[in-house]
Formats: sequence, C-alpha cells, structure tokens
Amino acid sequence: MGKAKGQAGSFPGAAGGFFKEFGTSLAKGDIFVKLSLIWMGAGYCRRKQFVKSILITLFEIAVIVFTFGFAMDYVPKFGTLGTVQQESVFNMMTMKNEFNDYDHSFMILLFSLASFVVWAIFAVVYLYNIINSYKLQKMEEEGKHIKTFREDLISFFNEKFHITLLALPVSGVVIFTLVPLLVLILVAFTNYDQQHMPPSALFTWVGFRNFRDLFSSGGLTVTFGYAFVRVLAWTLVWAVFATFTTYIGGILLSILINDKKTKFPRMWRTLFIITIAVPQFVSLLLVRNFFANSGIVNTFCANIGLTGWLRDMGLIGTSYIPFLSAPGWAHVMIILINIWVGVPYQMLIATGVLMNIPTEQLESARIDGATPRQIFWKITMPYMLFITGPALVTDFVKNINNFNVIYLLTANVFVTTNQAMANSQAKEVDLLVTWLYTLTQDYYNYKMASTIGIVVFIICAVFTLISFNRFIKGDREEAYR
Amino acid sequence: MKVKKLTALLLAGTMAVSLAACGNPEVANDTPAAETSGTEEAASGEEAASGVETAKAEAPAEKQDVSLRMWGAEEDQAMLQEMIDSFEENYKDYANFDIQLGVESESTAKDTVLTDIEAAADVYALASDQLIDLVKAGALQSIDEMDGALQAYAGKSIADIKSANAEGAVGAATYDGKLYAFPMSADNGYFLFYDANVLSEEDVASWDSLLAKAGEAGKKVGMTLASGWYNASFFYGAGFTTDLNEDGTTSIDFNKSADCTGVQVVQAMLDIASNSAFAAVPDGDISNQIASGGLCAAISGTWDATAAQDAFGDGYAATKLPTFTAGDKQIQQGSVAGYKLVAVNAYSQNAGWAALLADWITNEENQAIRFEKREIGPSNNNVAASDAVAANVAIAALAEQSAYGVVQNVGGNYWDPAATFGEMIAQGQIARDDEAAIQEALDTMVEGITAPVQ
Amino acid sequence: MKKRYVNMVLRHLLLAVLAFVWLIPIAWLLVTSFSSYTGINTSTFFPQEWSLQNYKNLLFSADSVAQFPNWFKNTFIVACCSCVISSAFVLMVAYATSCMRFKMRKPLMNMAVIMNLFPGFLSMIAVYFILRTLNLTNNHWGLVLVYSASSGLGYLIAKGFLDTVPVSLREAAYLDGASEAKIFWSVVLPMSQPIIVYTVISSFLAPWMDFIFAKMILNAGVSSQWTVAIGLFNMLDRSLINTYFTQFCAGGVLVSIPISVLFVIMQKFYVEGVTGGSVKG
Repeated sequence: MGKAKGQAGSFPGAAGGFFKEFGTSLAKGDIFVKLSLIWMGAGYCRRKQFVKSILITLFEIAVIVFTFGFAMDYVPKFGTLGTVQQESVFNMMTMKNEFNDYDHSFMILLFSLASFVVWAIFAVVYLYNIINSYKLQKMEEEGKHIKTFREDLISFFNEKFHITLLALPVSGVVIFTLVPLLVLILVAFTNYDQQHMPPSALFTWVGFRNFRDLFSSGGLTVTFGYAFVRVLAWTLVWAVFATFTTYIGGILLSILINDKKTKFPRMWRTLFIITIAVPQFVSLLLVRNFFANSGIVNTFCANIGLTGWLRDMGLIGTSYIPFLSAPGWAHVMIILINIWVGVPYQMLIATGVLMNIPTEQLESARIDGATPRQIFWKITMPYMLFITGPALVTDFVKNINNFNVIYLLTANVFVTTNQAMANSQAKEVDLLVTWLYTLTQDYYNYKMASTIGIVVFIICAVFTLISFNRFIKGDREEAYR
Repeated sequence: MKVKKLTALLLAGTMAVSLAACGNPEVANDTPAAETSGTEEAASGEEAASGVETAKAEAPAEKQDVSLRMWGAEEDQAMLQEMIDSFEENYKDYANFDIQLGVESESTAKDTVLTDIEAAADVYALASDQLIDLVKAGALQSIDEMDGALQAYAGKSIADIKSANAEGAVGAATYDGKLYAFPMSADNGYFLFYDANVLSEEDVASWDSLLAKAGEAGKKVGMTLASGWYNASFFYGAGFTTDLNEDGTTSIDFNKSADCTGVQVVQAMLDIASNSAFAAVPDGDISNQIASGGLCAAISGTWDATAAQDAFGDGYAATKLPTFTAGDKQIQQGSVAGYKLVAVNAYSQNAGWAALLADWITNEENQAIRFEKREIGPSNNNVAASDAVAANVAIAALAEQSAYGVVQNVGGNYWDPAATFGEMIAQGQIARDDEAAIQEALDTMVEGITAPVQ
Repeated sequence: MKKRYVNMVLRHLLLAVLAFVWLIPIAWLLVTSFSSYTGINTSTFFPQEWSLQNYKNLLFSADSVAQFPNWFKNTFIVACCSCVISSAFVLMVAYATSCMRFKMRKPLMNMAVIMNLFPGFLSMIAVYFILRTLNLTNNHWGLVLVYSASSGLGYLIAKGFLDTVPVSLREAAYLDGASEAKIFWSVVLPMSQPIIVYTVISSFLAPWMDFIFAKMILNAGVSSQWTVAIGLFNMLDRSLINTYFTQFCAGGVLVSIPISVLFVIMQKFYVEGVTGGSVKG
C-alpha cells in the first residue's frame, strides 16, 4: 500500500512539473512560441520543420472541426442530459412519422464524454507543443542540430519506439474500454432505468441517490441487504476456489505430463487440450444437460441405486440428484466443472513457463541432493509464482467477474427456494455480475447495475492493490534476467 | 438524433397542410390525390368505418420507395416470406418495397427491442405479456393513429380490426384505451395433453382421478410448477387476481381468500406435487419430457402438439385443465390466456407502410394460412370458427380452457418470487399441515411481488 | 527398480483416469451428434440409432435456423482478423512495458490494472452505441473491433514472459547498432514463440466462444450474418431444442475440429519454440 501511495504522490508532482515547464516556455519563448498558442504549427514552421508544422496544424483544424461540427451538439446539454422529450406526428401524405428534434440522454452522455476525452488529449498535445517549440528555439539559439522530419521519423523506431508501439493499442483501449467505462460510472449518478429509457424518455442526474438507496434501509429491493451479503460471499468463495483449484491443478498436471518419466507427453497434452477446443458455451451447455435433473447422469445414478441410497440417507429430498438445481450441490458442481474447464488452459500456460525454468538452478539443486519435492517448493513454485503471479491476480479478478460459467450452467435451470433471495431477483449461485446481468437485461435497471458495478470494482480494487503491488514491484522485474 | 433531425417548422407545416386538407382538399395542390383522399376519410371519422366498404386509395403518379424490416419467429420464416411476397404484390401500385425479414423469437422480442429501439425492426411479432413494458418504453406505434392509412390503403378501420378478432386478443393488444398491436394468434396458453389409451375422459376431469389412474398405469403427469406463468393457474381458478399498477408495481391477493383461502390452494398444490404420479418439470423442459415417453399427460400449449402427437400416437388427445380439490370443494383450474401480436416500431422510418404490413400478415387470409401451415390458433373470429380449426384437437382444447383463462397482468417483480414459490412446492419444502408456515410463505411471496419498483 | 516400475504404472494410470474424466463429455458430444433422435437423449449414453443426418443437414441443407456454412465462414474471418490484430497489440504493449523505460510506463500500467477490474459487459451498451455511431453494427468489422481493440489490456502474461528474456541479448544487439524496432522484430519476437502461440490461440478462440457481444452487435436478426456462437446458441431456444439439439452437437464438433488442429499444430511450435536453442540467463 505504501508503494501505491508513493506512486499516487509522484503523479501530481510530475504534472506540476509539466505545467511549470509550460509556464517558463511561454514566458521565455520568442514570438513564434507565443504564436503557437493560436497557430500550433508556428514554432515548427519557424524552425523549418515544415512537415511537422503541417501535421500539427491539420490536427488543430481537425479538433476545431470536431468541436463545432459534433461536440457542441451534445456538450452544452451535458448538465441536464437533455430537455426535449420525443414527440411524433403521423403524416398521412408521406406515410411517415415526423419527429421533433428530441434529445437522447444516453447519446448526450456518451458523446459529451467522448468530447471531453478528445479535448483532454488536445490539451496535453497543445501544452506539449509550446514546450517543444521553446526547446527548438533554445536548440537553435545554441546552434544545435535540429532534427529533420526524416530523423524524427527514425526516432519513432528507436528511442521513441514505445510511442509507435503503444499508439494503436492505447487508442483502442481508450475508445472501447475507457470511454464506455466512464459512461458506466456516470450512469450510476443518473436515474437511467425502465421509467427513464431513451429515446422516448429522458434521464437526468440524481447525485448520490442510487448509492444511498443501495445501502439505506430497504435498499434496492425488500431484501436487498440480505441478498447482497450472500451474493458477495459466494462471489468471493467462488473466486478463491476457481482461481486456486485451476491454477494448482494446471501446474500439477503439467508437471505430471512433462516429467521425463512420462511416456508420450504430447499425446496426453493433446487429449486434455481437446476440451479447450470445444467452445465453452457448447461444452458448458452440454455438461448442464449431462447433469440435469432428468439428465443422463441422474438416469445412471438412479439405475445403480445411488439416488435411492442418498434419499435413504436423507441427503436429498427429491427423486433426482439436484446436481445443478439445489444450493450446496450446485456450488460444488460449479467449482468442479470449472476445474474441468480451466485446468487444461492453466496446464498450457504452466507448460510454457516450466520449460523456461533456468536449467542451471535445477541442476545445481539436484547435485546438492534436493528431493523432487524440495525442488518443486523451492525452485519451481517460486519461479512459477514470479512469472504468473500477475496473471494469478488478474485471474482472480476475472473470476469475480466470471459470467460465462455461472450463466451457462445455471441460467433458466436453477430456481432458488429461498424466498428472501427471490424477492431480490437473486439466486444462491449468482455472482455479483450475473445478478447485475439480470438487473440490466430483465429489469433494465441500468442505474443500479452501474452502482453495483462500482461496488464490485471497489472490492476488486482493494484486493488487487494489496496483492498486485507485491507481485509487480519494480525491483522484482529484473530478478530473473 | 442527427438523422431524424426535423424542424418544428416542418412539423407546423404538416399540421397546417393536414388541417387544410380536412376543410378543403383542393388547397393541398401538390399532394398526390391518393393521400389527400386518405386524409379526408380519416377526418370524416368513425361513422364511415365499420362494415361499410371504404373506397381504396388510387395509385399515385409517382411511387414511393419503401424499405422495411420485419422480425418473426425462427420457425415461421418461410411462411412469413410468402406473406411478404403477397403483400408486395397487393400494394405494388403504391410503392416500391424492399422488405427484409429477420429472425427474432416472439418470446425475446422485448429484450432485443429495448436495447436499442431505434435499431429494431419496423414490424415485429411479440408475446402479449411484453406489450405493457414496450408501450411504457415508448417503443410501440399507436395503431389508432394509423386509422387513416388503414382506411385509405387496406380498406378497413381500427374498429373493423377490433371486431374481426377475439375480444381477449384485442384486450391484450390494448393499453390505456389505445390499440398498440395487431392480434396475430390466440394460442399462447396451456391446457392438458393426454394419452387416451391410458386415461379416459372421466379420468382427466379432476387431478385426483388423473393422478390415481396415471399411478396405476405406472406413468406420470407432468406440469411446470417453478414458473409464475403455470403455477398461478391454481390461484386464478380459485378466483384470485393479479394486476399491474400504473407505477409498474403488481397487486396480488394470493395470501388472502377468494373462492377458498390461499392456504387451501397451496395445500391442494402440495397434495398434487407430493403424489408419486406427478412429475414437476423444470421450466422449458416439458417438450423434452413429453418426447422422452415417461408421461401419460402433460400441461403445455399448442407448441408441444407435435411432440405430444409423436409420444401418444393414436391415443393423442387434449382437453381443458382438470379440477382440483381445495378444502372440500372441487375447483376448476384456471390458466393464463396469452396471445401473439404484431407491433409497429414507434421509430419506424415508414410507420404507415409498416402498419399496413403488420395488418397484412395478421389479416383473415394470412391467419388461415398460418393455421394451415403451422397449426397456430387464430385470433380472427372467422378463421377460428372454420371447420378445420374446430377439428384441431389442441386448439379445441385451448378454446375449451379459454373460458377459465385470464390475461396475466403483472410487473417484473412477479416472476422470481412466484417461480421460487412453485419450486418450494415442487420440492415439498413446505409442510402440508402447517397452515401458519404456508401463510407465511404466501405473505413473503406477496411482499416480494408487490415491492416498489426502483 | 521395482518401486520405479510401480511408480511408472501409477503415473500413467492416473493420467489415463484424468483423461477419461476430461473426455467423457466430449465423447458424449461426439456420439450424440451421430444420433438420429433430434432431441436430448437422457436415458442412454450412446444413441439408439446412429445417423449422419445431422451433419448432412448442417452442411448441405441450410434452413433459416441452421446456416452453419455461413456462420462458419463469418466466424472464421472475424477470428482471423481479430487474432492478427490482438496478437500484434498484445506483443507491442508487452514489449513496450517490459523492454523499454519511459515516463508514462508506470501510470499506463496502473491504468490498465484498474480498467481490468471493471465488469466488462456492463459497459456493453456504451460500446454498442459507439459502434452504432461509427455505423459498424451488423457488420463483421464491428465485431473484430470489439474483440481486438482493447486486447492491449491483456498484455500481462506476455509481459511476464518477456521479462524473462535476458537483457544481455538486447544489450548485445544495441552494441551492434540495432534499433529498438529491429531488436523487437529480430531478437525478441523469435524468442517469444510460446507466448505468441498462447496469444494467437486465445485471441483466435474469442469469436468462437462469445455470444453476448455478438448477439448485441449483430442485432438485425439476419441469421446468415451470425457467428457460429449465436447460431448454435439459438438452436437451444425452447421452441427449437427438440428439433435441433443433435445438430447443435454436430455444430459443436465441427467447430472443435479446426480449433483442435490449430492446437495440435501450435503445440509442436510450443515445445520446439521453447527448447529450440534460446540462450537462458
């Protein structure tokens, strides 16, 4: 945690330095640096970097066009999220409906945010541009060589190669993850639900009301607090079990297969890999039918008398074994089925990593007379943990949000008999995300889904901050080189 | 938004033109004759409507280009394509059509539409229980506004459509006094399929004899209990009611008393569920159970007619639901009367032609075709009265049951508590003789169902 | 010696049992796909009557429900495109964060961690509207973007791997005057085969597995545009399951074939890539 604070502290510091640099650049810069405030290409043009000048000018024009041609349609309405309700009149002559120029609250939210992001990028480039122009001015004054456009280009494959590498991936993330995420966060502060659904209705800001509703007495549904605690508990139990069982299972399996004493390692690997090759929704839906109340496993168990025996023991009260339809049974089955799904993946990763273990270390340990068990715990596991540690943390987070396994195995099959859960539209086997999915898909309660989403995020964040900074400490990055 | 940008000026202009058209058609010189006459008729109001043959619009000099998208059930695609072809043929003088047919199950239409109403199809089929949510979200075009267009081009009025279809179907398509969809079929309800080789007509009259006889034969009677759509049938039969309030909440009186007390209904259900000849089938699994051959009777709807026919062979029969014993009374089990409707998207670019298409695929001829090809029970009175329909075992049983059917008006909070309640009964988690516990379970269910909608 | 022999047998027995457990459902999938009964078979493991009809229907007589050849083609194209883009993105980000040092490195990595924490499909509706604005809904390019645009966020495993590539190799290349781009291309990439294989496989699989995003984006209801996942999932609709369950199984088998082949081929690279003479530090 101390580490995180340190980073958090350094970021504003860096930003402060950036602004200070901008201030000095502007104060000490010549007329062309100052002119760059209006015409961004001015500084470059003066230093004869014409191509760069043209490019940056084009960028400036593009942002201006974007601002007045697009952003200004939405951003001014950001404060209210729209005021004009949709109305339409049917026109007999054209056989068409004629609409007024109505506001679409969601579009206003989305495009305003997108505009803010574009402007934020522009602001950084704009400030940086001044600083750069001043640098060029100084270089010229000191008689240093100013890079030609060609040299600039080459630098993008050398010391600035990271910019080349990151430009596309980062913009992809910004458009398809960052902006949607910010929208999601903002929706939690609006009343976007079934009564306020665009395009026919408008929604607007409600401040922290949703968070208050979530935790105040009564909450979202009559038994919300009750359901929330249980769903959260199962989410965490599931995430821990799902992550560690598959992780350890994968390592053990890969050690078993890759051991020198095992014959035909490739054949064994292939056998397990086949289960990955069947798409998850096919294999999971199949397994679900396999273990259904009237499914083939139940037929089999009834035939060999297992069902009758379990009933005599008082373990089940039904004429079938409720593999996926009673709490307890379903919880265990879900974790077991997840092992079935997840271990081959982990085995694949572990195989890759294990083959990279520095052989000298293993050899010297063996010469020192270490047993296989000692080697496993002292060398193999620490190495595995070092390489896959970050992945382990992300796996845990992914499992907290693991929608597929739970949804495909239990949706439409599992009916809770706990009335308090049912009154909150929750089930014992629901994770926070599957519960969210029901709330959004069946009840269109986007505001509450977003609110819960933020709560899920906070839970994940707390966990991750604690463990992540352990795994990716800067000083450990170089350890195995 | 940008696409649909339309100035108030244009809107005002349109109003002016149509007002003018009402008083004096000649004023609107530049509008084609056909449309003007249509408007005129619309204005002349209801009296010109029902029964009387209205003059069809004349072909315009210049044909409009109309592109439409329509969604229908997977199994209906080939049939719907033929209907589209006949629609295009029928109206070819008025417009050039480009109609694209897509797949969307009637049971999931609401979910897909509400994700993005503006991108949804112009015309789509839906189950009647989705209507209210869609109307509230502003997704449906009021058909009342299309009266003029229908009179001008299809030669019938809204009143004609209402009188041509079963009252219940029209009721299910109406909200707040306005018609929001065209009734397409009246078979979205359930009744009893049985094997006449095992059970006689007297046996299937009551649950008691039904289960006793099935037990003797070593077969089972299947019904879905873990669904508020099926398990409410016991309560509805005993005179209990549900209703949807203006604010989206549900009113329900299952924990009180009607013809008998709610507790007695639950006890009756527990008696049935605990009988060894009864099979509580998970929701959606009934077709599979019928097909697997362990059942001699099952509660389901017309969609399982083929499965039942295959499973029961020459013993295939269907009838209304049996009576059940509550307290010391025999009570006829009720049911949910569901319909399938065809609606027009409120955001359609060609709302008028979309309405005409929706009307076309639900008119008398096409309902007859629908029955002929897919054995779908018609909502149209004339088709329903035809000999062929009357001879259909499943549809006849449905018609018999419809006397005890109610339209189930419930909000979103209804389903989960009701399903859970059914599952508790199916698993025998409530003791039959513990009346206090039953009452408490009923109260908890009602509390969840009537909870305010956030 | 004897103990060793027993050990050997036990080891292989254990593997055999595990493999058996792992393969039962797959075997059921396979045999069910050859069943002539079209619904779910609940009484016996093997079908009562064998038939090739499911495959015939699926491949040669497409109806409005089953358009398997079209779905397969669509998914394959989407999978290939998104696989290329995702793999490239992941490796690019991994190289930049692992092998280079720059000012924004730590902040960017922290941002990535934070973004990975949010439940992705919550923001699905926003992604959908972005695509609609770009006119990319009901379009396979839209799908490719959804699957690959944010793939840079999944760089951690690849970075973990690149972290183990010895610095000395790169330093030697610097001394020879190679540029960063050249080191990335001809020093680090050839050594990263296992992780490339891993990335390629996982990004190739996504379009075959996902039905939630795909269903949302391909929402025009035109079944010939669908991907395999939506199409097969649709076959399990309540009204269709009894007629199409075995075709669903057949579809599952057909999808698994190319993926299995991919895995088997890649596995070879996998092992060779790792053992094939790279210098270990």
